[in-house]
Amino acid sequence: KLNIGVDTIQHGVEGLVYLLTESSKLMISEVDFQDSIHVLGFSDELNKSLLQLYLDNRKEIRSILGELAPRLPSYHSLEWRLDVQLASRSLRQQIKPAVTMKLHLNQNEDQTAQVLQTDPATLLHLIQQLEQALGEMKMNHCRRIVRNMK
Amino acid sequence: ILDDPDLKDIDPTVLKHCHAAAATCILEAGKQKADISAISACLEDCKLDKERIDQFCTEYQHRELVTVVSSSIGRSPLHITDVSWRLEYQIKNSQLHKTYQPSYLVTLNVENSDSGSHRDVSFSCTMEQLQDLVGKLKDAAKSLERATQM
Repeated sequence: KLNIGVDTIQHGVEGLVYLLTESSKLMISEVDFQDSIHVLGFSDELNKSLLQLYLDNRKEIRSILGELAPRLPSYHSLEWRLDVQLASRSLRQQIKPAVTMKLHLNQNEDQTAQVLQTDPATLLHLIQQLEQALGEMKMNHCRRIVRNMK
Repeated sequence: ILDDPDLKDIDPTVLKHCHAAAATCILEAGKQKADISAISACLEDCKLDKERIDQFCTEYQHRELVTVVSSSIGRSPLHITDVSWRLEYQIKNSQLHKTYQPSYLVTLNVENSDSGSHRDVSFSCTMEQLQDLVGKLKDAAKSLERATQM
């Protein structure tokens, strides 16, 4: 319908894709975008359309690019259960409390579940350590860095 | 035992049998949590003299270590022994610049009761997810506390 060769269209599309992904990745400002495409020598109308295309789509492009970055398994949820061991093959008449947990993690669209166990003392230790970790975000040092790096 | 100078006149095979018999006796009695009177009665039936029975019972009293070892033998899910965490602030990655995202990296140190090997579980999470995790752990701890008061 456009009466142009397939190759030209392909290059055109590829060029457009590259322009939009690079601009979104770097999160460049409107002014910088306009300056960048100005050198291509297109008409003002075309430049305006390109700018609008960039602004309309960059959020979505960024979220897709975000999925491609290297990632560790991430936390999904935790289930827990209280168990008491009453006897074993090697020892009868025990009272051994334990907390059994199922940790659900996401890794690249797969969900894994791992069964883990811990004793009461370690559980309290875990809680204390992780509460300390949470507290760090509220410390001045972290606040200052987050503020200054925007 | 085989190197003990006091016992060098006894046939090593007999010595081994005696040792094995004594060990089995202690382990079985310990497994059933038998008390002194039960053991004395049992040894009397075996026609041991009073002095030997008293000596055996005195030694049996010192079996805390045996009980501890017995209670730790057995299968269980991977056991959490410790946790370490890291708070980081991501600025950019190869796919996306200006990400500005804080995240936690949590590593659970895990031991396998069978092989004693360490297989750590690591995952990343946001502050909200870590709060969710800590909340659930605290629920488990509260539950434990209530259970011990019953």
